Amino acid sequence: MNRKLLYFAVGVCYLILIIYGLYAVYTVEATLRAKEVPAIKPENKIAIAHTEIFGKLERPQVIFDHKKHTEAFVKEGKKEWDTCDTCHTVEQDSLIFDFPKKVVKKDKTSVMNAYHDECIECHKKRSSENKKSGPVVCADCHKEKEKSIEVKYPVFEFDFYVHDKHVKKLKEKLGKDDCSLCHHTYDIHEEDEELALVYEKGTEESCYYCHELDRKRGPELAAIARVAAKKGLSLKTASHLQCLNCHLEYQKEAGKAGRLKEDEKEAGPTECVKCHTGKYRTVAELEKIPRPDRDQPERPYINIKDAKLKGVTFDHDYHQKTHKNCRVCHHETLKACKDCHSLVGKPEGNGVNVARAYHDVFSEHSCEGCHNKKKSEKGCFGCHYNIAPMDVETMGPKKESCKICHSGEIKGPLSRPPLSVAQLDPEKVKKEIKIKVLERQYEPAEFPHLNIIKKLVDISNKNKLANYFHKDIQTICEGCHHQSPAEAEVQKDSPPYCRNCHAVAPDLQNLQKIRLLTAYHNQCMGCHDAMQLEKGSKLRSKEGNRCADCHKVKEKGPESITSVKNFPKDPWKYPWYGGMER
Amino acid sequence: MEKTEKREIRTIGEFWEFFKSELKPKGNPWTPFNLISGTVMVLGFIFIIYRFLTGLSPTTNLSQMYPWGIWKGAVVNSGVAFAGGGYTLAFIVYILGLERYRPMLRETVLFAFLAYVFYAGALTVELGRWHVFYNPFIGNKYGVSSVLFIVAWHFMLYIVTLALEFSPAAAEWVGMKRARKILGAAALGAVVFGVMLSIHHQAGLGAMFTMAKGKLHPLWYSEFMPILYFISSIYAGPSVMIVVSSITQRLYAHRVDEEYRKAHPQIVLGLGRMCIGVIFAYLFLQLILVHHEHDLQYINTAMGLWWLVEVGALGLIPMFLFIHGVQHKNLSTINMAAVLALIGVLLNRLNNVFIAYNWYLPLSLKYRPTWMEVIILFTIIFIDVWVFRWIINRMHVLSKPPEWARAMEKH
Amino acid sequence: MNRRTFLKVMGSAITGAAAGSLIRPGVSGAQGVFDDKEFFGILIDTTRCIGCRRCEKGCAEVNYLPIPDISEKANQDIFTKKRKTSVTEYTVTNLYETEKGKVYVPWRCMHCNQPACHSACIVYALEKRETGHVTWDKRCIGCRLCMMSCPYNIPQHVFDEPSATIQKCNLCYGRFLQGIVPGCVESCPTEALMFGTRRKLLEEGKRRIAQNPGKYVNHIYGELEVGGTSTMYLSAVPFEQIGLRTDLGLKHYPEYSQVYLSAIPFIAGITPIAMLGIAHVIRMAKKDAKKEEHHEEEHHEDKIGH
Repeated sequence: MNRKLLYFAVGVCYLILIIYGLYAVYTVEATLRAKEVPAIKPENKIAIAHTEIFGKLERPQVIFDHKKHTEAFVKEGKKEWDTCDTCHTVEQDSLIFDFPKKVVKKDKTSVMNAYHDECIECHKKRSSENKKSGPVVCADCHKEKEKSIEVKYPVFEFDFYVHDKHVKKLKEKLGKDDCSLCHHTYDIHEEDEELALVYEKGTEESCYYCHELDRKRGPELAAIARVAAKKGLSLKTASHLQCLNCHLEYQKEAGKAGRLKEDEKEAGPTECVKCHTGKYRTVAELEKIPRPDRDQPERPYINIKDAKLKGVTFDHDYHQKTHKNCRVCHHETLKACKDCHSLVGKPEGNGVNVARAYHDVFSEHSCEGCHNKKKSEKGCFGCHYNIAPMDVETMGPKKESCKICHSGEIKGPLSRPPLSVAQLDPEKVKKEIKIKVLERQYEPAEFPHLNIIKKLVDISNKNKLANYFHKDIQTICEGCHHQSPAEAEVQKDSPPYCRNCHAVAPDLQNLQKIRLLTAYHNQCMGCHDAMQLEKGSKLRSKEGNRCADCHKVKEKGPESITSVKNFPKDPWKYPWYGGMER
Repeated sequence: MEKTEKREIRTIGEFWEFFKSELKPKGNPWTPFNLISGTVMVLGFIFIIYRFLTGLSPTTNLSQMYPWGIWKGAVVNSGVAFAGGGYTLAFIVYILGLERYRPMLRETVLFAFLAYVFYAGALTVELGRWHVFYNPFIGNKYGVSSVLFIVAWHFMLYIVTLALEFSPAAAEWVGMKRARKILGAAALGAVVFGVMLSIHHQAGLGAMFTMAKGKLHPLWYSEFMPILYFISSIYAGPSVMIVVSSITQRLYAHRVDEEYRKAHPQIVLGLGRMCIGVIFAYLFLQLILVHHEHDLQYINTAMGLWWLVEVGALGLIPMFLFIHGVQHKNLSTINMAAVLALIGVLLNRLNNVFIAYNWYLPLSLKYRPTWMEVIILFTIIFIDVWVFRWIINRMHVLSKPPEWARAMEKH
Repeated sequence: MNRRTFLKVMGSAITGAAAGSLIRPGVSGAQGVFDDKEFFGILIDTTRCIGCRRCEKGCAEVNYLPIPDISEKANQDIFTKKRKTSVTEYTVTNLYETEKGKVYVPWRCMHCNQPACHSACIVYALEKRETGHVTWDKRCIGCRLCMMSCPYNIPQHVFDEPSATIQKCNLCYGRFLQGIVPGCVESCPTEALMFGTRRKLLEEGKRRIAQNPGKYVNHIYGELEVGGTSTMYLSAVPFEQIGLRTDLGLKHYPEYSQVYLSAIPFIAGITPIAMLGIAHVIRMAKKDAKKEEHHEEEHHEDKIGH
């Protein structure tokens, strides 16, 4: 009996195991969605995690409310500008915004102990003085619910507006221009480190060049950047050191004179979110702001000795006004391109020769690269999505494109006269074209030829880049009539029909030459799509039939899409037919 | 019990009379088992006819993502493994010459033969276009690159081989002496041929899944599936025979002769001992494969735990039970081990067919057998059992062949 | 045993294996037949597809399938979920939201160079024609091994007919024999589907990638996947994002079952010889043992009877 009971029990166990197992296996979900990490508004908080030292954290990160701490001191009567040295080191009259003050080694234990010593000790001291204090227990700082919060401050853009403001204000206060207040360079050859930081007039540049540590640079700047890295002077640290100290000084001045409330804006912000607003000025807003004066030429004539083509007259002034900062083109230093990029290439230029420096199609810093990117804007892309980048173009017969820039030294205005459709012969360039060559299911498409040309001419005239490069109206025609030469287009009696090259039936030998139906659809819809138009593109129209945007469905048209002539009515009788038997 | 010299049947007429007399039930036909299985079989017949009239969709839950279901899984994939006793036991008796296993041989061969016949029949129910099922055999294209082609042909040839191996018993039943002599002489050749065929099609069942690479869970799929299937059939067959023979020893004790009754414990022990080694080889191969293909990372998932259930609870534990049973000569432990081992093989095959196949689909798309499918499955099993029972009660399956037949045997 | 018996057994074993290896059931019928003909295929450029579904309607028309409703309103509903091919739809179009916006992807049989379905078919009902088309024939017995084997789950079985069929795109083999392009290709207004020889399609695909730098992912899906397919894709985003599996490997699928198939003749040759050999050896051993017994008994009797 005992044995039988044992068998029964074992049997039941197995049964449960199998049934539960089947259930678990049948309901398994193969995909796991990653939990989203919430990002909170920064609000002057700082996330202390130091994952570069601690690796995977044992306890949750600490979200430190900086403003709360400064306000706590202000409430007790301290002045705002005097609260900093409670926690931060003062060195030679300027603050170093590091914390904790004493970190001997950069390893887990030392850092942890340093934080604990300073934070918890201060809290303990204050609560022993019966003042409002902070937590001393682990979990009150290392809060579990703040484990996966991200505190992200948007980058602060020191754009031309801010620079100009600083220049003007400081001139007001000091009576003269003094760029050395902020700008300096590092003399790498100076042996005495104390004296290495010098100011040389005419070499003022962006902080980014030396202090943006995680960028690849040329040998000269890389050495300087290494020094900055050794001193821990990343862009963040350097700019906080430079900016905050100066702001605090002026704040102190205004505060001592009792003018802090009125001059709050005058003194410059010291709160995180006041600078890191996340709001950025557009190019249009910055266009009228005067650029920093460094005696830069307005229209330099770029001419390389021993180069094959004529030199280029470059409108530097215009280009300054249409970019947010100089680093877009002056990516390494604020010198001229050919100072580092020679005809054959130098180490300073990373081996990039001057031709490539100006013409690289994919670079963000070269002329061509930037122009290429501009061509993919909404107004331009309709024609330009189908036109190969200049590099490929000039390999072909269209070498006259080079002459547009390489025109030698031009003393007069650089812009061209606007294009006009008035130049066109109305007999040859039809106002409206009815496309009925493939008419079957749909009514003929009514194509507003002249209107489209007008619109494109309009866009071209309004855009300085387009206006410069579209030297005549034939260029606009080539946007659609892409393979026929300009002379052929002006023949009245044989217009440049698409069907002249694109056959109705597919050409299996030349797959590149798509058939006529496809040519119309791809050309038209491609352009509408690239220019992000509502009608007639891949973007869905809200209601109605997309096809009807260009051609309406015939009311009594054929039902079928395909041409089923020659196809047997009873295909299932044939050996090759594998479909449904009827 | 042994009868004296039977009259020999020479004409079809005589055979028909004899057959009709044999159809009469021996004993009470209204047992509970008969009633239940009879009901199921009647229902099953109706459903089978319904399936032939309306196609697979109304009767089964097969879908485009699960083309094979419980019929292919339980009947073809597992049933064939269970019938593996046919070739393993024949190998032991005829090739290795271990005579003490001979008493179980006829029962095993009969079981295997009926299993194959009825599972081939079940396949016909399962085929989408069963009315042209003869195409692979007559040459309406020999699909020589297809694993299923090999399996189908081997099925057919193996059924013939098993029929040949069992035919001496049938000859004795009708008393045809000359036929008995000829058929008995063909035994060794049939066995050798049968072993070869078995290796091919047991491995072939596994090879059918080799092209389902992206769809089977990595813990079940490997390129060595044919070998795993073959090895598992080596122990699945004897495990089933241990269980079946234990049942028949009790239920049909009146047909079992003294020699078999005495030898049965030793046979079971011996088979148990063999199973230990084979299960060990199987588990070892599984371990190597899982490790080699870096699949151990999946153990910590639901599917991984299910794999552990199949390989551990229904693979490793039976092995230990076998060891225990053989050491202590405990037949009931060996029986339990055999039951668990065969459930493990069944589960492995079902996993390959529809549980671990397309395992990442949501529950709504997964395959669950309809009750009609289950009833048809049991119908086939019950028909098999009824025919098995009928033959055991009439032919010399559980007992030694009659004197005159034994005299013909050369050994 | 003695030396003679050993040599007999080994000799017959080697002869058996050699003879067995002449049978070669593993070679797929797809190899070696296409020397003079070229494979045809379809190049699908997903940047050109506008999701109009005219290909589905065209396919339904030429294959006498139920004609789908492809009005804008119907399309807006249809694209909310991902579809697979079915017994009445040989090709479907799915919408994927990707980093580059909406991408419409037509999906149908890949017409692999070495199809798993054809290799798995027990009666070669699914055949790879010389021109690359993979077609189905009525000699099918409905075993559904093709469905298990196809890595793309393309063959669709008609479960609700008593005499089932397998439905899938056959690249309009019938129209091809009449010299017409497939129904879907004819209907496509933007030539997202382009028909031609596989060689020319690869050239065209590579040309498009080269002349439009940055527009496409630098790979034609189907050039090498699963040994090469005739339905190839160009995409602007990584292929996983548009539902095309890239974890299927470059090995053509029939090769996975090749190992087993090539072992068949070997086993067929060796096993019978080995079995007979073992049986013979054991029988001899038994006979020798019996002789020894007799011998001892005789000796013993002699001794006693002395």
